[in-house]
Order: sequence, then C-alpha cells, then structure tokens
Amino acid sequence: MNPLYPMVRKEAIEDLMAARGVFFLLIATLVMSAFSVLLVSNTELSLLDNAEAVYMMAGIIVALGSLVSVVRGSDGYAGERERETLEPLLIAPITGRQIAVAKLSGILFSWLFLYVLAIPYLWAVGSTGQNLLPSLEYLFITGSFMVVILGGLSLALSAKMRSSRGALSLSLTILLLTGSPVVLGASLRQSAVGRLLDLINPMAGALNTLDSVIIDSQGFSFQVLRLSILIVYSLLVTWALRAATKRIEP
Amino acid sequence: MTVCLCKKACICAALAFMIFTARPIFAQNLSGTALRVTLTPPAGSLKMGDTPVFRGAVTNLGSRPMQGLIVYLSLVSLEPGQEHPIDLEDWSAQKAVRIERLDPGAAQYQNWEMRLIQAGRFGAALTVINPEENKPVISSLITFEVQPKPTLSRGRILPVAIGVPLLLLALLGIISYSRLPRRYGSS
Repeated sequence: MNPLYPMVRKEAIEDLMAARGVFFLLIATLVMSAFSVLLVSNTELSLLDNAEAVYMMAGIIVALGSLVSVVRGSDGYAGERERETLEPLLIAPITGRQIAVAKLSGILFSWLFLYVLAIPYLWAVGSTGQNLLPSLEYLFITGSFMVVILGGLSLALSAKMRSSRGALSLSLTILLLTGSPVVLGASLRQSAVGRLLDLINPMAGALNTLDSVIIDSQGFSFQVLRLSILIVYSLLVTWALRAATKRIEP
Repeated sequence: MTVCLCKKACICAALAFMIFTARPIFAQNLSGTALRVTLTPPAGSLKMGDTPVFRGAVTNLGSRPMQGLIVYLSLVSLEPGQEHPIDLEDWSAQKAVRIERLDPGAAQYQNWEMRLIQAGRFGAALTVINPEENKPVISSLITFEVQPKPTLSRGRILPVAIGVPLLLLALLGIISYSRLPRRYGSS
C-alpha cells in the first residue's frame, strides 16, 4: 500500500475530527451567517444588487478559505517541529514530497468542507437572483487555486522556518499583501499601475473573475487570462513547495 | 392717441419679425424628418428578471438613400423623485446598431433585448443619428412598468444563517463528548 494514502487520510480527517478544525469552520459559518442576516433587512434589491450580494458572499468565502489555508499551512511543518512530532514522521517510510502532498491535500480538504458549508448560504442569498450556478462553479475553481497558492506557500515557509508563529506571521503578511490592492477604490485600480497590480495579484484575479461571472454575466472566454495567471501561480508555488521539502530538517 | 398708435405699430412689427424669423426653423423641422423611427414595446406585463424584446423600426421616407445611420436605445427612470437616465451597461448587451445603407422607402428592423434588473416605471426611446444631418430623430417615448420581485427571502436566509452554525456546534459537542471517556480512562 502506498504510504501516501494513510497520510492523506490522516491529514484530511484528523483536522475535521479535531475540535480546532471544527472551530475554524464554526467561525467561518458565523461570519457568513452575520453577512446573510445583514441582507435580510432589504428583500427588494435589484437583480444587480442581488448579484453584488452573491459576489460579496463569494469574496468572503474565498478570503476565509485563504485564511484557513494560511493557518493550516504555516502549522504544517513548523508546528509538527515544535510539538516534536516531525522527527518520527521523517523516519517513517515516506518522502518529504509525499508529506508535502499529504499536507496540501489536507488543506484542500479543509477548503472543500468550507465550500460545502458555504453552498446553502449562496443558495439562500442568490437563488432568486442571477448566475447562482456559475458563481458556485467559479467560486470552487478560484477558491481552490487560492488555497493551493497561499496554503502551498505557507507550507513551504513552514518547512524552512523553525517557529510556527514566524511562519504564520509571514504567511499572514503575504495574505494581507495579496488582499491590499482589493481594498483600493475602483478609480485607483483603473490606472496603468492599478491594472498591472490587478493582473499580477492572484487574489485580485480570483475576485475579478467572480465579479465578471456573477455581476457582469461574462462567459469563460473573459476569464481565460485571469485563470491562466492563477494556474501559473499554482505551478510556481507547487515548484517552491517541492524545492522547500526536498530536504527537511527535524 | 399717436403714442398708442406707435405702440400698436411696434407690437405688430415685433410680432411680424418673430413670425418671419420663426418660419425657417419650422420649415426645417418638417423637412428634416426624412426618417421615421418607431419603437414597439413587448406585449403583456413585465416583472424584474424578465428579458423582453423591444422592436425598433427605422424607415427612410426621403427620396435619397441614407448611409451610416447609428441607432441606439435610451432608457430613463420615471419613478417619481428618481427621474434619471439609466446606463444600459447592465440592462442590454446591444448598445448601438449601425445601418450601412437605407434606400428610399426601405425599413430596417432591430430587436432590442433588455434584462429588467430593477423594478419601477421606465421610459424607452430609440434615437437615429444621420451623419449628414445635424438633428437626431427620436421615436415616441414608450413607458412601461416593471413589477418588483423579491430577491431575498427571510424564509430562506434565516434557517440557513441559524441552522448551519448550530449544526457545527452540535458536531463540536459530539466530538468533545466522544473524547471525554477516553480522557477519564487514561487517567
């Protein structure tokens, strides 16, 4: 039996069965509940306003998924090192890369649970509006890419850093940096520099894809460039993770 | 008496001047409409979310062919207190139509599909610009009412907003409860 399977199973199930994993999901659902309840006061939104609400909900879900992936990723190696459980793992008949694959799969499973929990919220907010199904599809695609990019990067940092706090601080800084251009106003993002930042920033790419699909009802051909950039980032992060986990120090 | 006559003469002269100077404008209005543009609204009532088709027709009533005509749709909100022109960006994919050539007596028809994203009272009109003339030709304003459609329902949101966290809390409780005996057993 490939030793990767029990490792993937452990990473995927352990987090869900642990109180910490469920607690993360609980916080995420409370955030989504609070946003949904805020919308209840206005039941006669225009279709565009309704699409805007679905888009904001989708953006919140991507941000929560990214946050969970950063927290889990930065704990991946450095946390095990601090708890002194990394050494037994390294002497097990499993390579460093297989451990990385298992840990990244665990992060992706966490995202999958969050996504499944988010579906009722998106349905509740957007079922009478427009583009609910495309919003679910593209949320899954863009969210998965963001989780691979940020979770993979956090794992790579965690493999090289001795303290999980240090890895978490650096990963959170990267998350804030990717999120910061998004809070800039539309006028600033229309300038040449703003457009360039939007193009190279994966978080902006994910959110602009959701905006284009949910609000502007644009098809796949409009999303090709942004999705390609997300794919390129995912490949780069996978390569960085592979390089970082080639040789892990206990 | 002479003063009164002078006044009357002045008023008559002013009126004559106004009529004289107004005549060419009136004539231009009549002769300038060699185009006829009409817009027909869809039948039946409309509600938010519908995508009705408005039918436009441009007819050349003149004796010369016309080239490079630009036809576009305009939409205004007629809601009392909120009267304003509406940007068609989110309402219609078709922004303008160019008619390469329209022969005398010929008519060109277009279908203008609109996505009704907001409730309220609206007016729509079709405008034709002939690059050879300095006056656009505008159809009669069509007014229509878009019935509201509730986009958010408390009946859907509240059970989800309350139910999902409760479900996770229950799961958290089950996990904590299932670990209690093991903890006591080991000590």
